[in-house]
Amino acid sequence: MPDNSITTQALTKMFGHFRAVDTLNLSVNAGELFGLLGPNGAGKTTTVRMLCTLTEPTMGSASVAGYDIRKDAAAVRRSIGVVSEGVSLYKDLTIEENLRLLSTLYDIPRARAESRIQELLEMFAFREKTKRLVSALSTGWAKKAMICAALLHDPKVLFLDEVTSGLDPQSAIALQDFTRHLCEQGVTVIWTTHYMGEPEKICDRVGIMFAGRLVQVGTPDELKHSVSELSLVEVETPDLSPAQLEKVKHKLSSMNQVCRIKYAESKLQVSCERRETLAEEVASALLDVGARIRTINTKDPTLEEAFIALTGGEDEIDRFMERAEQTK
Amino acid sequence: MPFLEFVSDSLAVAENEFRQFRRNRSAILISLVILPFFFTASLGAGRGGAGTTFSATADIPMAFVDNDFSVASLRLWQTLESSPDFHSLIQSYDEQQSIALLGTKKIFAVIVVPKGFQSDLDNNVQARIILYTDDSEPGVSDQIQSTLTNYVQNFNPNVEVQPQLTEAEKQAISGVEIIQKGASFAGFNVGLTIVLAVVQIFAVFYEIAGGMSREREEGTYARLLVTPIPIGAIILGKTLFDILLSIVRTFIVLGLAIYGYGARPNTDLLTILALSLLVALVTMGLGFVASALKLGQRAVVIVEFFLILLLFAFSGLIIDKELLVGVSQTIATILPFSYAFDALRRTILLGRPVLSLTYDLEYLFVSGALFYGAAFLLLSKSRERLIR
Repeated sequence: MPDNSITTQALTKMFGHFRAVDTLNLSVNAGELFGLLGPNGAGKTTTVRMLCTLTEPTMGSASVAGYDIRKDAAAVRRSIGVVSEGVSLYKDLTIEENLRLLSTLYDIPRARAESRIQELLEMFAFREKTKRLVSALSTGWAKKAMICAALLHDPKVLFLDEVTSGLDPQSAIALQDFTRHLCEQGVTVIWTTHYMGEPEKICDRVGIMFAGRLVQVGTPDELKHSVSELSLVEVETPDLSPAQLEKVKHKLSSMNQVCRIKYAESKLQVSCERRETLAEEVASALLDVGARIRTINTKDPTLEEAFIALTGGEDEIDRFMERAEQTK
Repeated sequence: MPFLEFVSDSLAVAENEFRQFRRNRSAILISLVILPFFFTASLGAGRGGAGTTFSATADIPMAFVDNDFSVASLRLWQTLESSPDFHSLIQSYDEQQSIALLGTKKIFAVIVVPKGFQSDLDNNVQARIILYTDDSEPGVSDQIQSTLTNYVQNFNPNVEVQPQLTEAEKQAISGVEIIQKGASFAGFNVGLTIVLAVVQIFAVFYEIAGGMSREREEGTYARLLVTPIPIGAIILGKTLFDILLSIVRTFIVLGLAIYGYGARPNTDLLTILALSLLVALVTMGLGFVASALKLGQRAVVIVEFFLILLLFAFSGLIIDKELLVGVSQTIATILPFSYAFDALRRTILLGRPVLSLTYDLEYLFVSGALFYGAAFLLLSKSRERLIR
């Protein structure tokens, strides 16, 4: 009996010698909103393309909605909806004409197709825009049209690849709410993005991809917790001299395993392994060297910071981006 | 029912192609206006149509030098001078001076009737006319020689202006040298075979390879690939629509050629249509192969340019393929379009029934099947080929 879940075993895609996706083992539950997070070139889109049967895996296996992506590709295609930058609608057709074409290809009976098309167009408030050519729609409306196309056949699994890029904030929030609503109805959603804020807000679980590998999977809270035990203190301390900064660094390193100290634009940022007394220790070190303190803030790590920590820091990401660019 | 779903999917793709086409002015302009009208009209006008009033030599200045001063040479002058093919014939009395003018663009040929022309005819000895031409002008020399030969063939000094003779009457006339050269068919009938094939090949290749390339670049092909539609249904749908376009194009070319330029095909319209569609189908197969090789739109235009060069160089359009040698002849033998041109010529010009062209038809069918098979395999095997 097919279900809505996704499973992959050692799924790998190579382009020549470049491993775009490297032995990916993933399991997504039915009705789950799963965020796939990573910088450009991390392998998110290639993963989605393999799961959508657009790209043949080099090695490994995967099933989507209970169907094997190699053996039952047609059944997989009947079960999925895709919104991705590389998957577009016909620009010289209206949204209605595009949906009618797709309804034939999904073998939806004509009467049912018509009512479903009207339902979707009303749901997204297309109104008079239904008669416009897709080429005449704004980015936001074109994106909504693609979502309509992806939902036309009531897919069990929905792939939303960088779906909010180009959308205004209101539309993006509306889309996030709508996606959550879909998951409550039992649709499994894979939400890929490189905006760290999105999955933190809406996803049940997040997988962090980097250099083709799935680095970590968990709820947003679990991920943040897993890497940090990190505490961050930000102190506004104007006119800190290099000598004072060196003394502060020395003092703090004798007290803690300091991860990072950064001073820029009168702000000293100190991040280190989580400890309750960090703010006091930093303040004390600054006062000892005669520095002035205007404000002190502490904050919990974000998913972005967790991501950076998990992927080896900004320098490692920069190196990866350079390598990815060269490979292209 | 998988078969019915396959047909339904193919028809949906064909309908989709039609909807897009009718909104794409540049596609309509290129496929149904510029290509068929431009080629037919330019060749038709260039050749003056297939009517009897046109002459390629009529307005070419030529000198006629009569060194015989006989009744026969006078009659020959009168025959040529009053004919529609030698409107610009000037009588000259100095052979050397006339020859010296060749290459100056003042005259392009000198027709000399040598001394003894009449007596040769009277004595049943072969009489000669000497023709000097400006060889620096490509094609002019052959055209003048060919036209003049036709008149010499029909020339009879006892009749002022000799009408066209039957083959039997021609055989009965002795004494005038007959040069077997020149076109046997009215110019534009030959042109029609070229126009039909070139227009179809040019348009169809761009429609299929260019269309698939556009779909790849715009991401609409990927949209089709994430639906359950089989690759075969996509190919069939696009083929069905392009067959429709090819039929319309064939009728445009034929209509313009027949009613605009008086072309007289020696076969029925159904035969021409069938051959024209066969050429289109082979080209469609080639277009699908090209698209499976992930050609971008620019690359399609470049490939099309080379395809046209191949057609003109090796398909017997300009040089008959039997006259080619070595590698050129091998290419001509392999190229399916050589057989298409042969088949069109033999039906349109010679009126041979289409089923008598067994070898040409077999070759075209097999090439088309191979192209389609290769395209199907390539597109099915590697679906990612045509996605961004």
